[in-house]
Amino acid sequence: MMDIFLTVFSATFFVTIIRTTTPLLLATLGGLVADLSGALNVALEGMMLIGCLTAVIVSVYAPWYVAVLAGLGVGGLLGAMMAFFAYRLKADIILVGFAVNILAAGGTVFALALATGGDKGTSINLQSQAIPAVDLSFLSAIPGIGPILTAFLSGHSVLSWLAAFLVFAVWYFLFRTPWGLWLRGVGEYPGAPEAAGIPVAKVRTWSLVVSGALAGLGGAQLAMFNYVGFTRDMTAGRGFIALGAVLLGARHPVGALLAALLFGTFEAFAVVLPGLFNWMPAELIRMIPFVVTIAALVLFSIRAQRALAMRGVK
Amino acid sequence: MSNVPAIDKSIRFKAFRQEVTRSVGALVIALAVTTVIVFLTSKAPLDALTQLFTAPAAKTRTIGLWVDDIAKLTLTGLAFSLVFQARQFAMGVQGQVYIGAIAASFVVLSPIGTTPFGLAAGVLAAMAAGAFYGFLPGIAKAKLGANEIVSSLMLNYIAIELCNFLVRTSLPLPQAGVLTTVDFPEQSVLPALVANTRIDLGLIFAIVAVLVVWFALYRTSWGLKLRLVGHNARFAEYSGIKSTFIMVSAMTASGALGGLLGAVFVQGQTWGKLTVQFEGGLAFEGILVAIVARSRPLAVPIVAIFYAYLRQGASLMNVRTDVPAEVIGVVTAIIILLVSSSFSVNFVSKLFRRAPAAAAVQSAAK
Repeated sequence: MMDIFLTVFSATFFVTIIRTTTPLLLATLGGLVADLSGALNVALEGMMLIGCLTAVIVSVYAPWYVAVLAGLGVGGLLGAMMAFFAYRLKADIILVGFAVNILAAGGTVFALALATGGDKGTSINLQSQAIPAVDLSFLSAIPGIGPILTAFLSGHSVLSWLAAFLVFAVWYFLFRTPWGLWLRGVGEYPGAPEAAGIPVAKVRTWSLVVSGALAGLGGAQLAMFNYVGFTRDMTAGRGFIALGAVLLGARHPVGALLAALLFGTFEAFAVVLPGLFNWMPAELIRMIPFVVTIAALVLFSIRAQRALAMRGVK
Repeated sequence: MSNVPAIDKSIRFKAFRQEVTRSVGALVIALAVTTVIVFLTSKAPLDALTQLFTAPAAKTRTIGLWVDDIAKLTLTGLAFSLVFQARQFAMGVQGQVYIGAIAASFVVLSPIGTTPFGLAAGVLAAMAAGAFYGFLPGIAKAKLGANEIVSSLMLNYIAIELCNFLVRTSLPLPQAGVLTTVDFPEQSVLPALVANTRIDLGLIFAIVAVLVVWFALYRTSWGLKLRLVGHNARFAEYSGIKSTFIMVSAMTASGALGGLLGAVFVQGQTWGKLTVQFEGGLAFEGILVAIVARSRPLAVPIVAIFYAYLRQGASLMNVRTDVPAEVIGVVTAIIILLVSSSFSVNFVSKLFRRAPAAAAVQSAAK
């Protein structure tokens, strides 16, 4: 039992949590922006997966930041495509989202086989790059707390810092700018902004583009830092967990951060548990993030219902 | 779209013709895109396309594969149609298939499996387990408002891992280390309808399921209420229909179909045993079948016939040429996008017509 406490309170475990949280957080922020504009983005999973593969393939030929931008760009494009079908051609947004997921599941394997010359499982024979970690070891020079700061703050991906900043940026955008007000208004009650002359479909289109770009960024982090290289279905439900995290985070950026941290922590548990307790079946450990998501969703829904009841609704 | 007993049959026929034209149009566009992709990527594109379009009907064995796929796609298409008609986006068919298969395996590998009731007991256990698994996201939504998309997807992943776990630890294996159970006793395996093919009793189950779902949706008051909830939940609520009950019962019934599909998988001629990842992503193909069939139970098998042919063609092309079968994912996505949108065949021509018109305006302005 001592082992687990030592592991959980160690700096390495903290770094692992940040690493597992980052892709989830980016996707959750993406889901949040789309959800607040009233466009439920169920395609986060597929966008992440395509982002993963794009980033990996581009990183073979270009520097890492170009690859990250490519992952971001392809996600944004997919968001624009969803918006085109949902708002121009009036398709149901959920069905369009699942079409993107199906496209991602098949298309990535197809493209991977083309890029590797027949390998349908992994990109192991592609020389893909990693996102560099930010080295803050100079903090050790601070007397007293220096070494601890280094242990906790050094070694995170560039995108982890960006994701943390994006939580603030998304909050600022949503609650401190007129466009954020538009976006929330469109999601809350589209009739009113429509009457006020705000282009509802345009606002939703842009939020889907941003949503896709964030999910693609999450994919880049997953395939260029958490794991280096692409594996078939490597997102393994993270996009769907992010969808749950949006709801769990009470549709607020800070809530999204906390929810992503919660799921990231349990994913980190799933990473370290096999090493600690080898009697624990691997299948049950892999189930943890999904069970936690359902439990969190149910508990949150109970709480939300109670809040509604207290306000006298229903 | 109207389900009202049409006074004017010609209107009904016109709507039907429109739907067919749209589906065929979407199919043609999707296949054209596939052809382009194959030509761009393959070293022997003509060979690959020949395999894709002709191979499934070439031999008795491949026709058997095709028919087997039709039965399975029909079942998953029906399961999705039921929840889509109630406008619930429960995506849990995959999980129900795994849970149903696990339940069926436990029953038929117990002493019951060698009795004459083994087959029926396995199928019923699978349906009950699937129904329970479909009920869970339904009740969570009805009582707590928990989003059914997220909860049903999470349950899918849990069911897959549970299947992996139970096969490894709790079911009899022919030897240690393999991830496949021993063969089911003969009394519990669905008998083949045509010898030496995979066409088995599952096909009959699928046909019966089509008729039962059609009857339930269009000839019972439950079905009327369900469709009403799907069209306008608030209106249904005002007219005294308990929409939460309808929601939960639709998801439970759909779960039973998913469980049945699980039994058809593992008790069928294809496997006759439980193995990990036996389903191979087929369950989610039901989304396409349901969308193209507009969630109409009688249209589901027709769509399944075409789509099963494509799937089998793609997998044979995968084996015999250098084009991966996953190219079919692109086709699927395009068809879903086109059919679920207000795309019509003249939309494409309109798109092209608009551009010259704009150019004409510009040149006139000069």
